[in-house]
Amino acid sequence: MSGLFGMLSTTARSLESQRYGLDAAGQNIANINTPGYSRRVVDFGAIPPTSERLNAGNGVEVLGVRRLRDRFFDRRLFQENPAQHRENALAEALGVVEASLGSPDATLNARLNQFFDGFSGLAQAPTSSTARADVLAKGQALATEIRATDGRFQQAQLDADRRVRASVDDINSLANRLASLNERIANADQSGTMTLRDEQNEVVKELSSFLDIETIDLPNGTVQVSFGRGKPLVIADVAYAVTVQNEPTTGFAHLYSGVTDVTAGINSGKVAGLIAARDTNIPSYRAQLDTLAYTVVQQVNTLHDAGFTLGGVDAPPFFQPLAAVAGAASQIALDPTVAANANLIAAGSVAATPGDNGTARGLAALRDARVLSGNSATFTGFYTNIVYGVGQDRSSAVSEGQIRGEVVQQIENLRDSVSGVSLDEEAASMMRFQRAYEANARFFATVNDTLDVLMNLGR
Amino acid sequence: MRVTFGSIFRNGIVDINRAAEDLALRQREVSSGRRLHLPSDDPSAMAAAMGERAEMSVLDQFTQTTDSVDSRLSVVDSVYTDVINRLTNAQTRAAGGRSTILTQTQRDALAGEIRGAASAILTAVNTSYRGMYLFSGGQSLTPPYAAGPPISGYQGDARVQSVDVARDRAVQVSFDGGAILQGSAPADVFQTLEALATAVQTGNMAGIDQGLVSVGQAFDRVTNAQTQIGIEMARLPEDRSRLVTQRQAANARRSSVEDANLAESIAAMTQADAAHRAALGALATVGRQSLMDYLK
Repeated sequence: MSGLFGMLSTTARSLESQRYGLDAAGQNIANINTPGYSRRVVDFGAIPPTSERLNAGNGVEVLGVRRLRDRFFDRRLFQENPAQHRENALAEALGVVEASLGSPDATLNARLNQFFDGFSGLAQAPTSSTARADVLAKGQALATEIRATDGRFQQAQLDADRRVRASVDDINSLANRLASLNERIANADQSGTMTLRDEQNEVVKELSSFLDIETIDLPNGTVQVSFGRGKPLVIADVAYAVTVQNEPTTGFAHLYSGVTDVTAGINSGKVAGLIAARDTNIPSYRAQLDTLAYTVVQQVNTLHDAGFTLGGVDAPPFFQPLAAVAGAASQIALDPTVAANANLIAAGSVAATPGDNGTARGLAALRDARVLSGNSATFTGFYTNIVYGVGQDRSSAVSEGQIRGEVVQQIENLRDSVSGVSLDEEAASMMRFQRAYEANARFFATVNDTLDVLMNLGR
Repeated sequence: MRVTFGSIFRNGIVDINRAAEDLALRQREVSSGRRLHLPSDDPSAMAAAMGERAEMSVLDQFTQTTDSVDSRLSVVDSVYTDVINRLTNAQTRAAGGRSTILTQTQRDALAGEIRGAASAILTAVNTSYRGMYLFSGGQSLTPPYAAGPPISGYQGDARVQSVDVARDRAVQVSFDGGAILQGSAPADVFQTLEALATAVQTGNMAGIDQGLVSVGQAFDRVTNAQTQIGIEMARLPEDRSRLVTQRQAANARRSSVEDANLAESIAAMTQADAAHRAALGALATVGRQSLMDYLK
């Protein structure tokens, strides 16, 4: 042993070490709700004895403080997190579309049924001005509802596009933050980077909610992030901005890394979900609505053109003729001459026979005609398929999002089992260090008393 | 596995949210009585419900048409009855005119009654329904016969109109007055009655006999037409009944996929409420327990 005075020094070091442990427990408790915070543990080491004989050792010293982190769980989280956010973003975007359908029995489907009911009523009273006005009103209502539904779909598409653009801003902001953190980590003493690395981890996690990213941890503590099939996002302290350019035909945002369009390379994350809704799902619904509108116009006009007005002359088209399927839903409208004069509606199929109802009956029977989907679907059946498609797509996205959410939750639990703060554990640590401090203090007092005895020997 | 403060609360909140979502869903089912609110609730069921609603709409339209046709045919039936009564009256008066002891005044009176019958038949056959003449064929804006004297020839056409009361059944709702009041005879009923009236007035027995034969033929045509109407009208209640049954079946199918089973929904809501309370209680209980509580 190094003597009583040496023992006092040893005990003072030990007291300092236990205080350090207590301090770490306090730090853990203080940050219990800090996102991304990794639990700190203090590593103690026994100070070996000196060369003197009969020396048990020189007490304890603090070897360092570690943040507990398992990179494997982090990596798994960065892989799963984008998938969950893709499905959630898709479900949200489709939720807007679904809401825009309204109650299925009160909107377009009902308008279609009412439109054909109108012709059925006209067939009963081909010369009735009331029946003719009713057909006009119901035709107007149908055209308006188709245009409104298409408008709501388009609005949902524009909303998704706006969110893509906003997400790009968020991505660039996060990339800049990560580059800054990388710089500070690279230039700081490794022992002083724990808080920075926790923050770095949180930023990467947040980035992974927007994009499917690839990360490489470098020995100096920095993280290199790439996306979209190897395009750099953050390398060392440099953030490579993702830019937005409007696609020439649609005007929608496409993402660029440098001069390369990387939109197609983004397969997961919130941005991918929004792009899927904007470029795949909603356009598909709009295309189907166009087909419905175009076929309504074509079928109704074909019969109507062959009919005769109340005055017994050739009838004009009921709807304004459409040039193409694309955009039909946004353009469907009654023929202006018919809209202005209900007597131009064709009820009869024979000239100069005002009581004839052949055309009105034919138009009413169109309700049951299978003229869509390869002559397998009626108008209402086809619209029902659109509604089914929207519902199925959203339901799948919600369900997939929940499954992915469960996976993310489990990985977060596993990550927290390593990095998270347990109050019970910290309470135990507090007790442990407190007791150790008390014991060392008592030992210090004992050595001090012994020194007193020694000092008093000469008196 | 270490259980940490963060994971306890994160998992607890996820569970509470899930239980709250389920409770809200069940509560909405009970309060609205409907299981489906959005297509994504159950896309297949929603599609099926929409299909049934479309079918119900078609059936409603056919039912409405059936009711309208029934009213219209009732009017047609009453016209036929009126015409038959007038023809019978004319026959009776003409038969009376065959007597050789009648004075000229009496003959004039009988002829007047026969002409009155013709006038009443004209009024009856020019009946319109919702602004359309029933016996003008396709010329529903033109009266079948114009009042005279003399009463005009048939002004309509033979294009009778039908309306659909079911997908596979149409009922005739406008009629060819010419075919009924003249048919293949050389003169229409008005010309026949006028000739008969003249024969009665002049005591022309051969003319009376000839007129009675022609009136008898007209009587047969109208009676046949009324019989056809009677057959159609007799079928309409069956049509209506079938439509009502089909609608009830469609509504039952719609209800089975769209409406909530209230007993089940209430039980599920109670269960969801209990689960929600349990999730809240569990988190509150776990959150209270800590070794910190034992530190002095």
